[in-house]
Formats: sequence, C-alpha cells, structure tokens
Amino acid sequence: MENGKKPSVDEREIIEGCLRGSPVSNRAMVEAFGNLVMSVALNVVGNRQDAEDVCQETFLQVFRRLDRYDPARSFKTWLLTIAYRRSLDMLRKKRRFSEFSSKARHEPAVAERGANPHPAGPEPLPSALLKTLSPRERTALCLWANEGYTARDISEVLACSASTARVYLFNARRKIKTLLENDHGLLQNG
Amino acid sequence: MDFCRTVDLLYTALPLRPLRGWLIRGHMERCPRCQARLLSREEARGLLVAPDGVGNADAIWRQISSQAGRLTAFSETRPAMAGAKWRWAAAAATAAVIAVTGFWLLREVEKPGFGPTAAGPADRFEIDYVNVGGAPAQTFVFQPQGTDTVFVWASKNL
Repeated sequence: MENGKKPSVDEREIIEGCLRGSPVSNRAMVEAFGNLVMSVALNVVGNRQDAEDVCQETFLQVFRRLDRYDPARSFKTWLLTIAYRRSLDMLRKKRRFSEFSSKARHEPAVAERGANPHPAGPEPLPSALLKTLSPRERTALCLWANEGYTARDISEVLACSASTARVYLFNARRKIKTLLENDHGLLQNG
Repeated sequence: MDFCRTVDLLYTALPLRPLRGWLIRGHMERCPRCQARLLSREEARGLLVAPDGVGNADAIWRQISSQAGRLTAFSETRPAMAGAKWRWAAAAATAAVIAVTGFWLLREVEKPGFGPTAAGPADRFEIDYVNVGGAPAQTFVFQPQGTDTVFVWASKNL
C-alpha cells in the first residue's frame, strides 16, 4: 500500500482534514502512509515492537506538527524525515538501555524489561545483514531500494548533503554485497 | 580488484570524514569494477521489508487511534483560542478596576484637606523631659502667633 501507487488518495485533502482535526482524515493518513512509515521504521530499528512504537510516535508528531509542514516540499519526504528521526531516537534509547542493563546485570528483573515479549513471529523482518550497516546507511538503502529515492531525496531525509547521502548509499551497497559474496563463497567452499 | 581494495583501505584510514567521503565517491563513480560490486536494487529489496509486506494499515491505526482520538478532541476544543478569549475578558476587567480606582483616587485627592494634616508646630513639637545640670529642668514652649518658629525655654529647677 505504498502511497505512490494509490492515486485515489488525495494527499492535500487528507492534510487539510488533519489540520482541521478530523479523525476521519487522521485515519486516512495512517491508512495511506502507515505501511510506508512502518517499513522504514522496521528496516532502520530492526524489530517489530520498536518499529510499531516508532510508527505511533511518528504519526502523533505529524498530527501535532502538521501546521509546520511546508506544502512546497514533498509530504512523503517530510513524513519519512520524522520517521527516520524517531527511529534514531528509538535506537539511542535502546542503546542507553542496553548500557544500563549491562551495568545492572545483577538485577535480572530490570534487565528483562528490555527483552521483546513477542518472540519472532511470522511477520517479515529485515535481513540480519542490515545490522552491519549504520542507521544512516540502512535508511539510505531502504529509501533507495523501496521508494526509488535519489541521493538528493535521501539527503533531505537524512539532513545532509546529496554527496554525503551518495556515500552512505555506496557504502551500504558495497558492504552488503561483500557480505553476500563472502556468504556465497563459504557455501560453495563448505 | 586488488588496487580497489588497497584504495579502500587507504580511504578508510583517513581521519577526515568529508575528505574520505569525497574520495570514496570519486572512486566509486569512476571505477567500473567497484560499480559492478555494488548491491543492485533488486538484491536490496530482497533483504529489506517492503511497505507491502508490513501488514495491514488498519492494525497500525488501531494502535494509535486512542492517542490520536485524544489529540483530536484536544484540537477540536481549541484550548488556545478559549484561553485567548478569557485573557481578553480578564484584561478588560482589570482595566475597568484600574479606571474606577484611579477615578476614585483622583476625586479624593482633589477634595480639600487631602494629604498630611497641616498641624501647627506647637502641636507637632513634643519634649518628654529636659535635664539641666543632671537634674530635670522646667521647660516652656513658645510659638509667636503667625509664625512657624518655636522657642523652647528650659530653666534649672531651683
């Protein structure tokens, strides 16, 4: 349900409705862009529970701050910028928590709170290979592969120059390709 | 290929990230061998979760609807505007109180006898006791008529 594939959804109408505080428009926005935000969050943070939290926070922020959206810019890019930042916040939070829990290893009750209560289910998850990339590289790769974004579009989301975005994308593509080649070589040799 | 790997290692060792980025980009854009070693879009899609694969958007809406509902109710009541209206009322009431008080004060000031009472010097002059030569003395206070001058006379008790 990618937004670009749904021409029937009138983006402008949805935005105006959300600005008026219409619950119907809020729902329409989540239905139009929910899967997009969820996929980006899932690819960046790497697990479903955190991605759902990111998705929720993203839309709540969008509903609150929609008056700051500049209609001259792409709404999708603005939305993905928020989703990317929320994802980074989530990763920072998780890192802080893991640092804390590693310090407080003698308190298992506290350490277990960070564990995912839902074990890996049938829902799709990004490849473990993506964990070798930095969050910026993962985001660049995801936007490039799934959304067909150019380096310039990616740079808007990552808040960097187009050249830097291109380097993130190059690095991501090269690292994963190398890992895939190594895996393939190991399989052939083994 | 070995040349590219050596160049890669050299670039990775560079401490300045912008310079490193510029060199990597320059090399990648020119080197056909390195470009051939980049992950294709299709390969990347196979590793990533696509928007179509995350599930139903209704489920996402259900998760945020309670909070979004609170947000909607909040925005529909327009608390900022309601507050603004009350602020105007409070400001008008304060201005009215200030105006009435000011008018009353002006009227009071203009009345005769407002301000400190112009008591005579003799009324304002008070001596508890006067000692002369270590002993209480007789004191007299005299104010000539029509003047503000006060004379104090103290004489030793004989």
